[in-house]
Amino acid sequence: MSHVAFQPDGQDVELEVDYVVVGSGAGGSTSAVTLARGGEEVAVVEAGPWRDPHDYPISTYGAMRDMMDDWGATLARGRAFWPVVQARLVGGTTVINSAICVRTPGDIFRQWRRERGVGGDWYAERVWKAQDQIERDLCVEEVPRESLGRSNELAVEGDRAAGMGGYVMRRYVKGCLGTGQCLQGCRALRKQSTNLNYLPEVLRRGGHILSCAPVDRVRFDGHRAIGVEGSFESPDPLAKRKGGARFFVRARKGVLVAASVTHSPRLLRRSGVRNRNLGAGFRAHPGTGVLGCYDDPVDMNTGATQGWASTAFRDEPGLKLETLSLPLELVASRLSGGGHQLMARLGEFRHLAMWVQATRAESVGRISTVLGKPNVKYSLDRADMLRFRAGMTLVAKMHFAAGAKAIIPGVHGMPYKLTADQLSLMESAPLDPRAYVAIMSHLFGGCMMGRDPRESVCDGDGRVHGYEGLYVSDASSIPTNLGVNPQHTIMGMAQVLAERLLDRG
Amino acid sequence: MLWLIRHALCDLYPSTDELPGIEQASLDEFLRRFRRETNRATWAGVVLGAWAYTAAPILTVGMPAPSFLLSRRLRELHAERMGSAPFYVVRQLTFVLKMVAGLCWGADPEVRARMNLPPLPGDPGTWRTE
Repeated sequence: MSHVAFQPDGQDVELEVDYVVVGSGAGGSTSAVTLARGGEEVAVVEAGPWRDPHDYPISTYGAMRDMMDDWGATLARGRAFWPVVQARLVGGTTVINSAICVRTPGDIFRQWRRERGVGGDWYAERVWKAQDQIERDLCVEEVPRESLGRSNELAVEGDRAAGMGGYVMRRYVKGCLGTGQCLQGCRALRKQSTNLNYLPEVLRRGGHILSCAPVDRVRFDGHRAIGVEGSFESPDPLAKRKGGARFFVRARKGVLVAASVTHSPRLLRRSGVRNRNLGAGFRAHPGTGVLGCYDDPVDMNTGATQGWASTAFRDEPGLKLETLSLPLELVASRLSGGGHQLMARLGEFRHLAMWVQATRAESVGRISTVLGKPNVKYSLDRADMLRFRAGMTLVAKMHFAAGAKAIIPGVHGMPYKLTADQLSLMESAPLDPRAYVAIMSHLFGGCMMGRDPRESVCDGDGRVHGYEGLYVSDASSIPTNLGVNPQHTIMGMAQVLAERLLDRG
Repeated sequence: MLWLIRHALCDLYPSTDELPGIEQASLDEFLRRFRRETNRATWAGVVLGAWAYTAAPILTVGMPAPSFLLSRRLRELHAERMGSAPFYVVRQLTFVLKMVAGLCWGADPEVRARMNLPPLPGDPGTWRTE
């Protein structure tokens, strides 16, 4: 077994394996462990470092520096600038998300069949079967009542009173202690991010992991992918010289690209893959929060970071509701104003609870490359902004149903606080995305799958059209918006992709 | 440049009777460290934000003067209004300033103690090397 971390100049690394997987997040690690369990020799190549729980940062500053891709500064640019949040470390975004487990809805597979000529009933059955196994592997369970914390408990109460059709979340977390540290990585070792299970298993089964190893390009022999190459990069923010030795990992059977929605299309493009659909079909669940102000302290950072959700509005109007606690370090960016006014508002922190809506947006963007970095062009259209606003109104209603004395909508042009009798103002909130502070969560597309090579990058098995031995195994192949948290879908699809490679031998 | 950024952040997060301001939160050390560790785009956002903050009193309080020359009352009004400026770009630059300042202020032990929050131990900043 081998793990190769940053290597300085002059210590070039060459490996030969059956399969090389680029990226170690939900998709990459699941494909890798499935192939390794099937007896294949696998190398996982990850751009970021391997941080174990005792290496995890504690502060939000540390999380942005040590775990986020490019300090979380990648923006979706359109009418508004909204950040695209992704991780860059071994385990990928599974280390910094809330580990929410939602099975892929059946209508998604039917939609893919209808619109893209891929998927369908047999595929749904295989993905769900894979998801059964992943749930066992990663100890999926409902958040224990004693670990919910006050913010999630209030959401349960608000849901009950307002009829939001919600539930206590199921997550890849074994015995949550409610430390409220999901977004910085779970130092309590309860969250089952893939750096703790699937990737160590790949090593135990004779595989290899290269960390601090951003891939420059996929190497080809004609139209056959034969490996990946790049240079090690020091994760030390103070390093005078970031670049290190070269590496080349030769793949006897195939290269699986799972570098994320923003990086996978960029890597394929840079590797010389000719397909006009690279970068097309970017979709997301843009989301924003509404803060509720309560008489008693809520201390939203105590308890599970996310513990309650509702998917009852997934079809109409098209959104998801969730709790999401915000650390003190970030709360000021959700409160308007500055100076003494801001300080007075910050003084209420312990009495605030943030719940969010994530819109199942139909708007489509595009990912290009500018100065070597991913550049996301994306704007919400009017129909999506109506959904976005409807979601905020639902969250506001739930806060009042839970006993909030006021809400803070955080919408430019609206009063700082609204009381229950002013709720109707939310229904006429602006439809201009620039009035909102939002983030782009749950990203899809960029290397969309489909039967027709004129409209897609890869086929239903993840195989890149026109190439041999080159596959896409992450959310970039997902051609539509799911309307639910995507990690389980990404993992299920990645396992099925790897199983089909094993079937073919 | 650090002086300009410092001035903007101190205006946005001043000390009050209830809470320490950012000036008491080891701001100089934070800014030096942040400049060393962050990426160019984020640092550029902070620098632009500080310039915009300094130059914008004409938009917020109708005074054609840099913010550091304003009277205490006008500076306070300027800080309040920057966060809800009518121009999106100005609002976004102020957002960047407030967010970065929050990383410093919200992690300060004294601030957290006043809010009854546990202190944050230091970030290890380590990773597997073999």
